[in-house]
Amino acid sequence: MTHDALSNRHPAVSFLFFMLAIGFGVVIQHPAYLLAGAVCAGSYYLLLNGRSGWRMICGLVPVFVLLSAINPLFNTYGATVLFCLFGRPFTLEALLYGMVISGMLVEMLLWFGCYSAVMTSDKFTSLFGNLIPALSLLLVMVLRMIPGFIRKAGQISGARKCIGKSASEESGVKERIADGMSVLSALMDWALEGSITTSDSMRARGYGSAPRTSFQIYHMTGQDWVLIACMATLATAVILGGEKTAAFSPEIRIAPLSFGFATYCILLLIPSALHIKEAIQWHISRSAI
Amino acid sequence: MKKSHIATLLIFLVCIPATLIFGSRLSGRWYYATSTLVVMELLIPFFMAFEGRKPQARELVILAVLCALAVAARVAIPIPGLKAIFGVIMIAGIAFGPESGFLVGAVSALASNFFYSQGPYTPWQMMAYGAGGMLAGFLFYGRRLPRKPLVMGVFGFLGVLFFVGPLLDTCTVFLAPITINFKNVMAIYLAGFPVNFSQAVGTFLVLSLLGKPMLEKLERIKIKYGMLRGMEKSA
Repeated sequence: MTHDALSNRHPAVSFLFFMLAIGFGVVIQHPAYLLAGAVCAGSYYLLLNGRSGWRMICGLVPVFVLLSAINPLFNTYGATVLFCLFGRPFTLEALLYGMVISGMLVEMLLWFGCYSAVMTSDKFTSLFGNLIPALSLLLVMVLRMIPGFIRKAGQISGARKCIGKSASEESGVKERIADGMSVLSALMDWALEGSITTSDSMRARGYGSAPRTSFQIYHMTGQDWVLIACMATLATAVILGGEKTAAFSPEIRIAPLSFGFATYCILLLIPSALHIKEAIQWHISRSAI
Repeated sequence: MKKSHIATLLIFLVCIPATLIFGSRLSGRWYYATSTLVVMELLIPFFMAFEGRKPQARELVILAVLCALAVAARVAIPIPGLKAIFGVIMIAGIAFGPESGFLVGAVSALASNFFYSQGPYTPWQMMAYGAGGMLAGFLFYGRRLPRKPLVMGVFGFLGVLFFVGPLLDTCTVFLAPITINFKNVMAIYLAGFPVNFSQAVGTFLVLSLLGKPMLEKLERIKIKYGMLRGMEKSA
């Protein structure tokens, strides 16, 4: 993951990019824009995840087909009847609209897949740490505790197994629920005692006695500002760049493409382009050795 | 007036109407973008109130423990379909009041999505889980309703089935690949009913079996370490 170019930039840059990509993706319903969005999101997802990314993308194809077919089954508007199913017309307009909305959903899933890989929790809290200090401290503590609690829950149920108290594979639902509740209860006891120790040591170290300062691992560089300026310019161009409407009911009306579409594609290709540029640079500098 | 009160008023009187007016002028699936923005704006006053309170270390850590417990409960109770997250959030609300209940709900939704995946549903989950914890706080905090296992269990059942579940289904309505009209929306709520029902049963079990012992544990910690006094001073 660290070999990705956008991941190595300041978190504000990555966050702005995803806000723009996801925001435009949700609002613009034009098929060409959706296709461009899905292709860009898919290619970036593949660059981030390598070969294992294909599994997700292949899994999305049946989702897309299935969801596209749902709308025409529920709705029968439109003039072009393709065929009749259970005595109800299956129209082209409803099918296209279903495809547009499922395409949007697929695009969202892909962008959020990239977002999860790029905007890890440490970046999220470092970005918002100064704005919401108490909340981001809370979030950091929660994220730290969850793996510890899961480990402890395993230890507790292991210890219970040793004294013959645990529910086995064959035991009924009632026993398994009772067992789970006991584990959860013991876990809570342990966690609450630990929380007192934690908070006492926080107080002993002066938590709350003065405004907190925070260590910043990320610094904005000139390149970051250039990228932000590029994104802002391109986003403005997309907003101003011509009609993006598409209507499917009662008849199909899709606005012609204008220069807004080109800027939209450039905007969405930024992370993939950065990634490929860095990969090429790495390749060249390595082959120079 | 406190800073967070002014912000709350600004959000309700200016930001949300502006979002609704501007959002409805957008084309396409404007209602999803608009409603999600409104949901995010609704979260802000709660978070600002928490920041403005300058929470003490003890309160902060206890809330963090409850959030982490809500997320980790999924692993502690290895029964498919039984999600303890709602139960733990509601217990937090019952023990520490509506504000803390909301916070625990919202933060555990966000935190658990860091482990699975963030998605277009994240703000909605934060809102819905938080609202569930807040409702529990309103009804039980300060002994308005008796904290008996059965009463809490029934509350958990009804709360998930008719409040938290439908709130989450509303997100599905806006995301689902259908044209929005009354018939289709009803179909989605009906389709969500079995899922909500099974989660409501899970919440009933957690609250009726674990509610009382968990509240006693929290009470014990409060008394043993004088936490209640400390928290009242800070509030």
